[in-house]
Amino acid sequence: MSGRPPRVGDLITVEGVSKRYQSTSGPVDALHDVSLTVTAGEFCTLIGPSGCGKSTLLGMLGGLVAPDAGRVQVDGQVVTGPDPRRVATVFQDPGLFPWRTTLENIEFGLELQGVSREQRRARATELLGPLGLRDFAAKYPRELSGGMRQRVAIGRALAIDTPIVLMDEPFGALDEQTRLLMGEWLLDIWRRSGKTVVFVTHGLHEALALSTRVVVMTARPGRVKSVLDLPLPYPRAMDGLDMVERRAKLWSEIRDESLRAMGER
Amino acid sequence: MSDRARVRWLQALSVLGVLLAWEAVARLGWVDPLFVPAPSAVAGAFTRIGRGALAGLGDTLAKTAVAYLLSVTLGVGLGITIGSVRTLRDVLSPFVVVLYGMPKILVLPWIVLLLGFGTTPAVVYGTIHGLFPILVLVMGGVRDVDRNLISVARAFGASTWQLYWKVILPAIVPTVLAGMRLGIVFCLLGVLIVEMFAGVRGMGYVLGSLANGFQAPELFAATALVSVASIAIVLGLDALNDRLSHWRG
Amino acid sequence: MRVVALRAVILLAGLAGWELFARLSNPLLYVPPSAALPALERLLTLQSYPDLLASLLLTLREIAVAYVLAIGAGLAGGFALGLHRVVGRAFGPILAALYAVPAVVWYPSLMLFFGLGEASKIAFGFLLGFFPITLAVLAGIRQVNPHMLVVARAFGARPPVVFAKVMVPSMLFTLVGGLRTGLALTVIGVIVGEILGSRRGMGALINHAYGLFRTSDYVALVLVTLVLIVGSDALAGLVERRAQRWTA
Repeated sequence: MSGRPPRVGDLITVEGVSKRYQSTSGPVDALHDVSLTVTAGEFCTLIGPSGCGKSTLLGMLGGLVAPDAGRVQVDGQVVTGPDPRRVATVFQDPGLFPWRTTLENIEFGLELQGVSREQRRARATELLGPLGLRDFAAKYPRELSGGMRQRVAIGRALAIDTPIVLMDEPFGALDEQTRLLMGEWLLDIWRRSGKTVVFVTHGLHEALALSTRVVVMTARPGRVKSVLDLPLPYPRAMDGLDMVERRAKLWSEIRDESLRAMGER
Repeated sequence: MSDRARVRWLQALSVLGVLLAWEAVARLGWVDPLFVPAPSAVAGAFTRIGRGALAGLGDTLAKTAVAYLLSVTLGVGLGITIGSVRTLRDVLSPFVVVLYGMPKILVLPWIVLLLGFGTTPAVVYGTIHGLFPILVLVMGGVRDVDRNLISVARAFGASTWQLYWKVILPAIVPTVLAGMRLGIVFCLLGVLIVEMFAGVRGMGYVLGSLANGFQAPELFAATALVSVASIAIVLGLDALNDRLSHWRG
Repeated sequence: MRVVALRAVILLAGLAGWELFARLSNPLLYVPPSAALPALERLLTLQSYPDLLASLLLTLREIAVAYVLAIGAGLAGGFALGLHRVVGRAFGPILAALYAVPAVVWYPSLMLFFGLGEASKIAFGFLLGFFPITLAVLAGIRQVNPHMLVVARAFGARPPVVFAKVMVPSMLFTLVGGLRTGLALTVIGVIVGEILGSRRGMGALINHAYGLFRTSDYVALVLVTLVLIVGSDALAGLVERRAQRWTA
């Protein structure tokens, strides 16, 4: 199932992409004939069992992975490499540069784009407030907690002000409480910025609490299994009957795939 | 072409290339054969120096072996003693570090004044040269033994003797092996230096006299010989090290 | 506190013991500390060796030239081997093998080729200092977190920018450590070279004192040379500590 045919207003279109990796035990099909569209302003979550290729798919959107078949278009142009003017990426490992302070890390993307020192500094400082890092501007990554580091990584992505932000399990390495709080915080940032977010996660709660649309992927080789639209207001009552039903539905979709993925191993 | 094959090709071609270029440069007379002999001349020199060089090498290796034995015994023994007794370690560490960091070459002339020329200063200096790296390494190794292991042993009622024999010694085996690997190079280095400075026999002396006599081809040949020997020794020790450490995975 | 007191006791006992032993056996051979100090004074006031300053400067110059060459070749060689997989795999083992040879083995050849003057000392110092720098570059490259490079690429950085803004800062600490070791070895190389055979420089003065059995002057010269060695390493240590700021 591939959703609907592309329309104007679609920021990202994925058309029949496939990806095969060579591993030590033979070729592995990570993705097979995946098609997908993402509209501007959406919070689209990719969810699925481990190894379903969601990170690979995100890598394709970010220009870090080239599809073996099919193509990805962002804003009407085929993706051939990283495009920091349109797409910013946040990884599960924050990947902060340990020799840079919080501010300097946030400025990184701007620095690469040749933005002047004063402008960079101003933009990064502006973001400190929403990021909740005002007191940590001059600290180094080793002085920050896991949650803070991830906020800096997100800040770095926001600083270059791209219409699209990709996030690959950004809260995966955090404890549950931090994860919940970060989710609320991210929601707030997204709603205020109006960006398009493509978010990869394992977590049902996250998917349901944050997204406007959830794309469920099958076990390897990954395909789109189903798409769940969530036109619900924010913040969401996770305990309401409506949400409980949706959660059950989502889990039933994912459960089979998870079992299949586990059976493979 | 696979990476492996490419690597072999590159190695072979570059070695061959260097030798050919060298030979050509020498034959064309671009360099003075007195200072830079052609590879062919060096090859020929091997036979001429053969017996003398091998005797010298044997002499050097014999002195090195004695120095090595001494420095390993002293280094490991002192290392364990100082490293495991808290007070000794705290008090003596800076002295050890200073002695380790001090370039031994500065005391060489004095040692020669004391012990004369020949074998004795070579063995003594070689021992000193190899002793300190081993000592420092073993001290560190003992200090870094996982405290947990020691606590567990004590909790099970281990006596001091048992603690050393069953916990500390096995735990520092990798460090001792590393020290032994390091020590051989330092001992050999020390012995060679003394032979060059104040020797009557041995490879250092041979190299020195060949250089003084401007016998370039013979000097290059002898240098190659001693280089191959030390590479072989180090590789041999590495292989031994690997064999002994296979349980560590 | 007790520890410091014990150390002081050991030091004083050592000096006193040495003084006693030297006086009782052979004060000319075993220079007692009481003889070393006046000798030092004679040296520093340029009485025992008037050309002390010239010798010191010469040795320093040899060290400087050798070190600059070692840095150049070390960085070039290290990056050439470290950044190109095939080149690294080809010449890496050759380098490791050469490193296993005690460096002094090359010295007679260097003396034959360059003569007894500065050049052979510079060449030897270069040879000794070049290896640790190259090895440090290789080690530094190996420990760069590959995820950093992915992040930089994701933000659109091209290879030269990734190198300059991510790879180099990431390996800076290891690199500076190698530069410090390289300096220490270059210094030793130059001094060993001088002691094993030279006409001028600190090593030559040491040899001269040794040859004439002027043992107390010898001790004074050794002390001055030690200051040179320790001083250069202390400077390098300062630089290394600044680089430490940047490690995670």
